[in-house]
Amino acid sequence: MNIGLEAVTKNDKKAFYLSGEIDMHSSPVLRKELMKLVDRKITPLIVDFGGVSYIDSSGIATFVEVLKSMMEYGGALRLTGIPDSVMEIFRFARLDSVFDIYESVDNAVAC
Amino acid sequence: MEKAIEVKGLVTHYGTREILKNVTFSIPRGMTTVILGGSGSGKSTLLRHIIGLLKPTKGNIFINERDITSLSEIEMIDVRKKMGVLFQGAALLNSLTVSDNVALPVTEHTKLQGSTIDIMVRMKLDLVGLSGSGGLYPSQLSGGMKKRAGIARAMALDPDLLFLDEPSAGLDPVTAAGLDELIVRLKKVFKITIVVVTHELPSIHIIADYAVMLNRGEIVFTGTMDELKMSDDPQIVSFLARRPPDDSLAPGDYLKTITGNS
Ligand SMILES: Nc1ncnc2c1ncn2[C@@H]1O[C@H](COP(=O)(O)OP(=O)(O)OP(=O)(O)O)[C@@H](O)[C@H]1O
Ligand SMILES: [Mg+2]
Repeated sequence: MNIGLEAVTKNDKKAFYLSGEIDMHSSPVLRKELMKLVDRKITPLIVDFGGVSYIDSSGIATFVEVLKSMMEYGGALRLTGIPDSVMEIFRFARLDSVFDIYESVDNAVAC
Repeated sequence: MEKAIEVKGLVTHYGTREILKNVTFSIPRGMTTVILGGSGSGKSTLLRHIIGLLKPTKGNIFINERDITSLSEIEMIDVRKKMGVLFQGAALLNSLTVSDNVALPVTEHTKLQGSTIDIMVRMKLDLVGLSGSGGLYPSQLSGGMKKRAGIARAMALDPDLLFLDEPSAGLDPVTAAGLDELIVRLKKVFKITIVVVTHELPSIHIIADYAVMLNRGEIVFTGTMDELKMSDDPQIVSFLARRPPDDSLAPGDYLKTITGNS
């Protein structure tokens, strides 16, 4: 699949750098990877979008699902480095207020 | 201006009757193009060829630079996934709820989990202003809601081309204006190319960047809305002024028409 999810540890917190095209083909793969982290009840779960060239509604729905699962154990999902084009879609779907959004991984790690 | 669709020398028939007569034009990417023309001029026929439902007698249709007239049915499936269509009359499946109608293209074409699809469907229904109506059946919807549900279904696979065949026909002006607003927002947020067949003048002024006008199977105009408004072509002037075109017959011809002697 044409996506990557690379883990980096910063200040004892794990950040995941997501890259590639998140579409209807790759979303199921991404979901599997993220759900493994959710099963380990990782919190906060920091995902950076800097390397994401495209995300469609299946990708966005995947993150909504992850957030929903994390809320069950009080976990925090933090999204960082969201490109403007993606932000516009988030805003339109009013997801900008649903997701916890940070400018950068450093900001997300700091709190 | 980048082209999303290019139609070259298109000739089409139903049986032996020629409908589109050597039609050539292109549709710009990322804009809303309206297809105008009187009833029976071939607008829906043109749309059916562009989405690959019908094969032309002659000519080529390039979608994102790929000639779809030479594609096999299987190759066409891939192209069609990136096209959303609202057919004239919405064409929802009456035996399925609104949600299931919207989910259908997704379950058919992807391996996404049901739980992911559920969220996608809710997002699409919210997009068109039908949050909370997912459990209803098409027969329980108003005309405007049916069109919105049809648009949600057309948007199900995140198309980059959206085709709407007379979305506001038969709707009251307020409901029609609501649909126009939705069309404008879809273009702005998703940067998609939208093609709308419509007769509604108020709607055209709000949604259109570009226009293509057909008359009896022939192109009479293609250009920007500004060019359309400035045109002095009598057909276009009468269309924009809502006047019937002057096709009154000479007295001799009229006599032939009613006596049947030609
Ligand atoms: N399936 C068909 N079989 C035979 N003739 C058809 C078929 N569909 C349309 N036609 C004829 O082709 C011509 C063009 O029809 P089309 O539906 O493309 O017109 P239109 O411009 O969409 O009209 P309207 O504004 O009324 O929807 C009409 O004369 C129509 O009677
Ligand atoms: Mg029609």
